[in-house]
Amino acid sequence: MYSATKKVSAIESGGRDRAMFKRDTLLGEAAPVRGHHAPGLVMLIATLGASVPSIAQPDAVSRTVEIYAQRCSGCHGQEGDGLGPAAERLNPPPRDFTLGMYKIKSSGFDEYLPNDEDLLRMIRDGMPGTAMPAWGDVLSDQEMADLVRHIKTLAGYEADEKPSQQVEYGTQVLGSADSIRIGRELFLERDRCSECHGKDGKGDGLKSLKDDNGERTWPRNLTKPWTFRASNDPRDIYTRISAGIAGTQMPSFADPASDKVLSSEERWHVANYVSSLAKTDNVVRPDNTVVKAAKLVGRLPDSADDPAWEQAEPSTFFLVPQMLAKKRLFKPTNDTISVSALYNEQEIAFLLEWDDRTQSIPGDENAEKIADGQIFEDSVALQLPLDIPSGTEKPYFGMGDPTHAVNIWQWTSGTTDEPEQTSLINARGIKDIERRDAAGAGVQATGTYQDGTWRVVINRALATANPRQDIQFLEGRFIPLALAAWDGSNGETQSRHTMTSWYWLLLKSPAGSRPLIVALIVILAIIGAEFWWMRSASRRRRQ
Amino acid sequence: MKIPRLLQVVLIFVGIYVAFKVVFGFVLGQPIPSSLLTMYMFFVVAGLFMVFTFTDESTRELVAPIKALVEDPARKPVRNVVFIVVPLLAGAYAFNVMLPDFDAPLELRSIHPAPPSTVKIYDQRYDLSTLENPLRKFQKDDPQKFRLLVAEGAEVYIRNCHYCHGDKLDGNGPYAQGLNPIPLNFQDIGTIAQLQESFLFWRIATGGPGLPDEGAPWLSAMPVWENFLSEDEIWKVILFLYDYTGHRPRTWEQE
Repeated sequence: MYSATKKVSAIESGGRDRAMFKRDTLLGEAAPVRGHHAPGLVMLIATLGASVPSIAQPDAVSRTVEIYAQRCSGCHGQEGDGLGPAAERLNPPPRDFTLGMYKIKSSGFDEYLPNDEDLLRMIRDGMPGTAMPAWGDVLSDQEMADLVRHIKTLAGYEADEKPSQQVEYGTQVLGSADSIRIGRELFLERDRCSECHGKDGKGDGLKSLKDDNGERTWPRNLTKPWTFRASNDPRDIYTRISAGIAGTQMPSFADPASDKVLSSEERWHVANYVSSLAKTDNVVRPDNTVVKAAKLVGRLPDSADDPAWEQAEPSTFFLVPQMLAKKRLFKPTNDTISVSALYNEQEIAFLLEWDDRTQSIPGDENAEKIADGQIFEDSVALQLPLDIPSGTEKPYFGMGDPTHAVNIWQWTSGTTDEPEQTSLINARGIKDIERRDAAGAGVQATGTYQDGTWRVVINRALATANPRQDIQFLEGRFIPLALAAWDGSNGETQSRHTMTSWYWLLLKSPAGSRPLIVALIVILAIIGAEFWWMRSASRRRRQ
Repeated sequence: MKIPRLLQVVLIFVGIYVAFKVVFGFVLGQPIPSSLLTMYMFFVVAGLFMVFTFTDESTRELVAPIKALVEDPARKPVRNVVFIVVPLLAGAYAFNVMLPDFDAPLELRSIHPAPPSTVKIYDQRYDLSTLENPLRKFQKDDPQKFRLLVAEGAEVYIRNCHYCHGDKLDGNGPYAQGLNPIPLNFQDIGTIAQLQESFLFWRIATGGPGLPDEGAPWLSAMPVWENFLSEDEIWKVILFLYDYTGHRPRTWEQE
């Protein structure tokens, strides 16, 4: 879009030449001069080596090539073309270094070449939410600096070439309620950002996005800052807004040619607003492994917007792609899910909430347009053991095992022809599955989708007439609980889904009066002992 | 001025407690579990008691302030305050202890459980005590071919294993945080460096479900790789694991 299209065509003509140039030099053959980045690697080293002492010597170059082959080529490819053996199983795909285009950069929007520090930062700190790890603890500063130079030469840049333009930061506007309000207005104005990122910033805009290589890209869910490739510091966000994200449909809003251009001050407001979107109450807390169900007196909620849910304490867990059984899922879109639970004397209710950019309705024209390939229904499932374990032994977390059965309650979102549906499965491993009547067992589920979030409520009685087939919930016991989710617009169906490992469900039994009684007994006993001590002491004094 | 002996005891006790907290919690970054700390402090109290009550004289000196508090009429106001505060504190402590516990149960598992003597993998029975990596011999015999095998192992690894065990083989892959127990860190000296290649073959081929009960097979997210990889691929990936980390597999000869 905007100037991005202009840039792409420019790269297409130059990219191939650069790639060939790079291959030749790496093989140590005489480097034919191609494109406008002319000098061969050897010449480059000769000229630079003389003036700057820290510059790579020939030995260091071969060492850098070695490090690249060992650490980087598995994803980015031996040739730097982003086609390493892992590439087809990764989304986002590994960067194709021969293109000379980088997503996270702080040079000006009209410039492909990043600052060395931009590349160094991605190598050193990694890119959250992707397969790119932080190499800072493995490689030395010098090794990383050499890699930066090497990566630039893969694209045909000179190793010490510097960008001619930088992002202009102007005067930073500090985050305040006013700035955030203005930022929100600009975010929504003429659908500037919400077109892709959605009204609430959950990346749920009704648009199918692809990068320049045709790989599916999903707009960032701005409420999950832990997936930001850089950070959600307003300065980093400002840089993205100003420079755009090269190779994707995220344009620069500093580009005067854009009809949605923003001034520097306005970009600071938007950055402050985006930074404020972080949904900290839905962050995964690694030490929290227990979903605590609070006990209510009276009716339980049977819909997601019931105010009674405010009394529940949500627990958020990571969703990981299913890789235990064929077919595996390698490119998940759902990454976390939150669970809340409430119960009363008769019933238990679960609220499952997860952000999903797409409401996947097979048959719906808009939904099918956004979907990546064939569309399936969205879905969520809750897995519980048939028998609450008394020791540590549990059913296998992947649908139980021959000696330990699980109950799986699954809700599916429905199509244009079919309403939402609740199903019940008893499983003893993936090959031993019994489909049962959910309504007959009293499992009821209903879901709503709004602004990029699914909310599904599942209810069931604590006890059923069929204890040999259904879990019977007991107060105060730790009950294993696992979850699974399907994003139908991401081709997820059947075994291709995301899931959690075992966590716990606990029906919190009210404390009752026991702690108070014990505390009173302790207090009285100590006071009694004190009196006895004082009396015996005064008796001794009188004697 | 001489510090009263009772105050000395209290100061030493507090000093040691704070030292434990600071040294392990902040300096070493590995806080002592509270149950262990309680045990240590019990020994500290016992030791202090022995030292400070070594003679009758020192015992008398130690308890003198407490006796005076109760028996000296001039100290009555202080005594009354102490006699009210102490039971209240004890009561509050008892109340907290009696509140229901919402912490998840501890799940102890053996990370390197003893392997069975024989295992059935790819419909074939293997004796793990004699099984060796059939590709290991190339390390000496044909180094060039060995490099190629390691590179092929790297390819298997990056396509299948890095999601959990990480690009850096440090057990911190992109999905590691979503797993409990967390994936093994191969860089750690306590993992593959302590194991024979046949052990790895067994663990990779049969995955989580192949663990004995003490390894908590119901928890492990390790897939059963014989369903996805060939025998050859598993041996190659084992070569890669040792090559990349620089660890050496244990062999019978070393022991």
